[in-house]
Amino acid sequence: MSDRNGYPVIDRSRRGPYPPTEEMLAEPVPQEEQEAQQRRLREVWATPKGFRYWTAVNNTEVGVWYTMTAFAFMLMAGVMALIIRVQLAVPENDLVSADRFNQLFTMHGSAMMFLFAVPMFEAISILLLPGFLSARDMPFPRLSAFGYWCFLIGGVFVIGSIFFDAAPNSGWFMYPPLATQAEGPGSDIWLLGLSFIEVASIAAAVELIVGSLKCRPPGMRVNIMPLYAWYVMVVGGMILFAFPPLIAGDFLFELERSLDWPFFDPERGGDPMLWQHLFWIFGHPEVYIIFLPSIAIASMIVPTVARRPIVGYSWIVLSAVGTGFLSFGLWVHHMFTTGLPNISLGFFSAASESVVIPTGIQIFAFLATLMVGRVKVNLPMLWIAGGLAIFTAGGLTGVMIAVAPFDFQVHDTYFIVAHLHYTLFGGMVFPVIAGVYYFFPFIRKVQLSERLGRWAFWLIFAGFNICFLPMHLTGLKGMPRRIYAYPEGLGWDWLNMISTVGAFIIAAGFAVFVWDLLRPKGHQPQIPRNPWGGGTLEWTHDVPAENWGVRSIPHVHSRYPLWDDPKLLERVDAGRYYLPDSKQGQRETLITSVIDAEPMQVQKVTGPSWISIWAAIFTGACFILPTFHIYWPAAGAGALAVACIIWWLWRDTARPPEVERKDVGLGLSLPTYASGPASVGWWAMWITMLGDATGFASVIFGFFFYWTARPDFPPEGAAHADGLMIAAAAILLLSSWALTLGARRLNWSGRIAGARIALGVAPVLALLGAAALAASVLHLSPSSHVYPAILCAVVIWVGAHTGVGVVMQLYCLAGSLAGKLTPNHDADLHNVTLFWHFQALSALVACAVMGLAPLLLEAPA
Amino acid sequence: MTAENDTEHGQPAEPEKDRELAEFAEERESLLRITFAPLTWALHFVLCYGTVSLACIKGLIPLPYTRAGLIAATGLALALIALIGWRAFVQWDVRRTGDFTNPEGHAEHRHQFLGHAGFLLAIISAIGVIYTGLPLFILASCK
Repeated sequence: MSDRNGYPVIDRSRRGPYPPTEEMLAEPVPQEEQEAQQRRLREVWATPKGFRYWTAVNNTEVGVWYTMTAFAFMLMAGVMALIIRVQLAVPENDLVSADRFNQLFTMHGSAMMFLFAVPMFEAISILLLPGFLSARDMPFPRLSAFGYWCFLIGGVFVIGSIFFDAAPNSGWFMYPPLATQAEGPGSDIWLLGLSFIEVASIAAAVELIVGSLKCRPPGMRVNIMPLYAWYVMVVGGMILFAFPPLIAGDFLFELERSLDWPFFDPERGGDPMLWQHLFWIFGHPEVYIIFLPSIAIASMIVPTVARRPIVGYSWIVLSAVGTGFLSFGLWVHHMFTTGLPNISLGFFSAASESVVIPTGIQIFAFLATLMVGRVKVNLPMLWIAGGLAIFTAGGLTGVMIAVAPFDFQVHDTYFIVAHLHYTLFGGMVFPVIAGVYYFFPFIRKVQLSERLGRWAFWLIFAGFNICFLPMHLTGLKGMPRRIYAYPEGLGWDWLNMISTVGAFIIAAGFAVFVWDLLRPKGHQPQIPRNPWGGGTLEWTHDVPAENWGVRSIPHVHSRYPLWDDPKLLERVDAGRYYLPDSKQGQRETLITSVIDAEPMQVQKVTGPSWISIWAAIFTGACFILPTFHIYWPAAGAGALAVACIIWWLWRDTARPPEVERKDVGLGLSLPTYASGPASVGWWAMWITMLGDATGFASVIFGFFFYWTARPDFPPEGAAHADGLMIAAAAILLLSSWALTLGARRLNWSGRIAGARIALGVAPVLALLGAAALAASVLHLSPSSHVYPAILCAVVIWVGAHTGVGVVMQLYCLAGSLAGKLTPNHDADLHNVTLFWHFQALSALVACAVMGLAPLLLEAPA
Repeated sequence: MTAENDTEHGQPAEPEKDRELAEFAEERESLLRITFAPLTWALHFVLCYGTVSLACIKGLIPLPYTRAGLIAATGLALALIALIGWRAFVQWDVRRTGDFTNPEGHAEHRHQFLGHAGFLLAIISAIGVIYTGLPLFILASCK
């Protein structure tokens, strides 16, 4: 075996037979061994008791908290909707003031979108995805827990503001100048609170993408994975490209709010349209980010109901991926009335019409499955059917308003309100409730009431149509959105009254549903293990509940393993398959390859800890305190958050394992450590950086947007960034990148001293580079015009990332000195190098834009 | 082919299976490949949107040239998507296998499935590109 300066190369290949033969699988496991394995697994995966329960990080606990919290926020936003409806029930009502009404509709929309719809997808996926994939847990459980606590803190902060009459009041899309000039902390609460939650969303997206790429059971190639996993990958990818533009927008917006940098102020060269672009580049994919995971639930329920495999699996994959892409070409259809060139409107109108095709395909695939199957309608299917009917109606009005001239007529009227509620109720609320009924036996090991479920369905279905169908007419009769009162005699009176009555019928339906969820169910007899007769892996769950996720991780070779392999369940239970044991007392799951799910590694996963809660509390303080203009304590909290995260990573991630390989059952031996593209951490970094790069690209887009849309950008005779300093910054930052890369190579080849020197010099160069970048704009006055402001914003962005990069380099240096990072255990250094690839690229782009673009753009136009 | 595979279901060590594994084992396929056609659509879309903004808002390029250039770009994008789609169709190999669903956990089924998905995505991307191209034909002025 080759030798690298005294460090032997560790063989991390798979050893032993794979795939398992029928004879191997047929061999029984002795009873005593089974019991001993069960005992050990139970102990390792036990949920903490008492007060320490809240330190749990397992997907089954975090998923339940997450869903329940999102659901609670949804109910609160629903109550706001009821107050809105009561206010509008009769003309010239004075139940609430105009300002209170503004707060109510702003919070209703913001909460439903940011605190319910998107988090609900993440919550449900965290809860269910490991079950679909027979994984013991998600690859980064503490990240899920961190995301949850961030969501809880941020959500309570944002929604709580309404009780203090301090809520944002400029509408859920926060258009400047209304929102930038709004008085009170409302806009800041929206910006900082929701940015905080968006960060948590991106964390969840990373977790879910890596989970569905790398944590599938052996043999589950991409052509047989549950459709839900396809949807999760697509939606996770969409979050990565959709949320960062909004975060970049928030960044600029908050700079304008707190430092008076005029990004959206036309008097000083800014442009409110930039916000609209950034918001809707997020906002329209957002609709599909909400819709696709819900329809993914339908794709799990429909085959069970039809009692046959889904028809058109590839077609549904096409529609998920196709919708994911096309949904990014629709954003301007929210801006049809802003005076953009007609041809541009045409592009977006065309894309809006074409997205109907993939969306329609998946609905037809469901209908085809039901037509050719032996349908046995159950309660979840009733909700799916109701949802599809409502969604289709919403889709049809969508086809109408995608036509620009029609939109000119109904823009900002109740027609739009009706349309968006039809799509979101049909596309999200109904399928999610269907999922609650369908998966409740999997989650809680008890069933919900069939009778109450039917009551809830008919109340919500009828109430919904009574409430929202008349709104189409109200809108066509000219009633604008967001007015808090209207005069008598415009023909809107009775329509509004009907809508209000419908709203209360919906509320009654939800009351029945909530009662069904929360009522005590202790007396229920034990449920059957597979109550609906599903064919996918989640129904290998244990009844009564066990915390280990899956008793042993099966080898699968079809889309519906429970239908196609009659011996599978028995073998899973006997611990015949992979990872049936945890001899070292560690939480572990299996990592497989991306395309063909061949076993690659045993991954240790982290267990219960307070650290994710502390990290969330300090991160929360760092975002929340600036809302009240308390900056220094916020900076302190930020430092503490970073310290918590470093502590958490240092203690529990990517440490050299006690043993380099483990026997995972069926004669297979797998490595316990991986670095680079073989490791889950590397994938997580890659995916995170893709999102981060999108955010940076959005800021750069801002620069070129101003240049395109504004005649005075850059203004005549404007001071530019200092070219010499920019050149110095580029050279220094690139050198830091080169040293990081060099450190990785040196470390790998066993030249540890050299690697340490490189890791010691690299942060110094990086800091000097950031300082040079800052020095290049010091003489500019960013509040005078948008040109210096955007240059300074780019410097802040790159500077902050350099700071993160420096911490990473020092982390690796410390790891090398402490023996955590060795030539054979260099996952951290691989991930840090990957970060620096992106960092070097953004530094280059930033320096080019700041230093070169002004010279080219100023040329006589 | 499919019927044969069905009988072997769940017995991965059969010789037929080994042959398939050998045939496709060397292939390091990437999931990204199925996104090439939609990516072409996205690039074409951004190109159209950006260029028209430069022509109509900034006034950098005269509109007739913009339209002509973008219509040419539309043709180019369609040709590229056709090429991607054709390669995916060959990979799907439905004319030989007659298999439209590829539901089995074999390397060959996975390989053909990715071809099928790529082919369908090429069709939807082509439709998207054609739709995006329509305003260039129909509208002759910025306003």
